[in-house]
Amino acid sequence: MINQIQMRAIFDGSVLTIKVAFVALFFGLIFGTLIALGRMSKNKVIKSFSWFYVWFFRGTPLLLQLFIIFYAYPIIRIEMTGSGVEMNPMLSAYLAFSLNCAAYSAEIIRAAIESIDHGQMEAAKALGMNYRQAMTRIIIPQTYKRLMAPIGNELIMLIKDTSLVSTIALFDLLRTVKTMASATGDWVYYIYAAVIYLFLTTIFQIVFDKLEVRFGVYEER
Amino acid sequence: MSMVKLVNIKKSFGTLEVLKGIDLEIEKGEVVCVIGPSGSGKSTMLRCINNLEQITEGEIHIEDTLVVKRANNKDVEKGNSDLRNDLGMVFQNFNLFPHLTVLDNITIAPRVVKNADKTAIDQKAMNLLKMVGLVDKANEYPIRLSGGQQQRVAIARALAMDPQIMLFDEPTSALDPELVGEVLDTIKALAQEGMTMIIVTHEISFARDLADRVIFMDDGVICEEGPPEDVILNPKEERTQNFLNRIN
Ligand SMILES: Nc1ncnc2c1ncn2[C@@H]1O[C@H](COP(=O)(O)OP(=O)(O)OP(=O)(O)O)[C@@H](O)[C@H]1O
Ligand SMILES: [Mg+2]
Repeated sequence: MINQIQMRAIFDGSVLTIKVAFVALFFGLIFGTLIALGRMSKNKVIKSFSWFYVWFFRGTPLLLQLFIIFYAYPIIRIEMTGSGVEMNPMLSAYLAFSLNCAAYSAEIIRAAIESIDHGQMEAAKALGMNYRQAMTRIIIPQTYKRLMAPIGNELIMLIKDTSLVSTIALFDLLRTVKTMASATGDWVYYIYAAVIYLFLTTIFQIVFDKLEVRFGVYEER
Repeated sequence: MSMVKLVNIKKSFGTLEVLKGIDLEIEKGEVVCVIGPSGSGKSTMLRCINNLEQITEGEIHIEDTLVVKRANNKDVEKGNSDLRNDLGMVFQNFNLFPHLTVLDNITIAPRVVKNADKTAIDQKAMNLLKMVGLVDKANEYPIRLSGGQQQRVAIARALAMDPQIMLFDEPTSALDPELVGEVLDTIKALAQEGMTMIIVTHEISFARDLADRVIFMDDGVICEEGPPEDVILNPKEERTQNFLNRIN
């Protein structure tokens, strides 16, 4: 069966998984909103930067991005400046997952903003609001309901993708159980992992379903 | 005082010239109804006045002050664009903010744009709702209102910014026939209070009864204008006659 030390390790692995997913979602949404606005900007430089950002982070594997930050960046730095850095694995994971999540969130948010009727922006402008006021008070709040399903989906993807951090010396849930399974020759640890993943994803699914209803109250006749 | 003055306004979308030189001057308290066939540029003219579209050429003055002067799609003189805050606009599709209650729809712009005090603006909004007869709907979301009610909220919302001039773009065209009257009555009440208004409308009898002046637009120009007795009852231009015959 499972002893106390193993339980503790599985718990720690789950916490790490949740931490990486949530930090990534939090910063990914903030940065993703800016990138989304950048994609719709009239300023050519901002527009191309945002396009390039999404193109790069969606077009390359997350694992590669993680390696660039954790393994390649220190080498690049030594070659450029002569002084080395030791990358903190946790920080690298946060950074890579956040940057990656921002690219996906940007596209989700942009689609949601573009789905809002143009008349809303016009009405806001006709009432004297500037672009920033219209966006933050009128347009973006109307996207919340539409964002909940795809963002819930993104969180679930993140939870599962955190298993990639095992490649940079971190013990997430999957790596923890894999170590136990190979040490003991017992496959039941994989079942524990599956149950925990399913538990987490189910909870978040329910939460985001609830949020979607809540943000949509004004649409009910 | 002239509230709105347009001098030789032109507007093109790419190569399509939609406004081909509009001259128009509107006095304080005047109610001007704009009629004309679909695609003649009526909406575009209103949208140019309040900068939802940028004019290609011409001058716009509001309250005897230059707001914008352009030629070849470029500014040639800096005007005072703040005067655009004196314009209120009502749209064909109401464009209420669906995520806000009726009360918040009315108060959001004063709060955000003018930093209005919450209790004072709420009070003012309730007075406006009284005027349009919708006090009991203050805490409803727009989706629970009929089209006519929504449009009356939209009028109250525009009035909350204390406009000196109201622009209406076919305010009743999206309404079921039985709801048209309540919105027209609200507009009439505004006219009686002396509000300066430009109203694009297909309601010819409304224009005849209410307008001080009727403007018939066709193909991007003002084809005929004058008091309703002339333009609607005895049009001189053949294009005006044809248009009126067609819609009667
Ligand atoms: N944003 C735009 N881009 C390109 N063409 C446009 C745009 N807005 C309007 N037009 C064109 O300009 C012309 C005039 O349109 P406008 O909406 O001003 O007409 P209207 O007189 O208001 O007609 P209606 O009675 O149907 O509302 C039309 O040919 C229309 O297709
Ligand atoms: Mg129109």
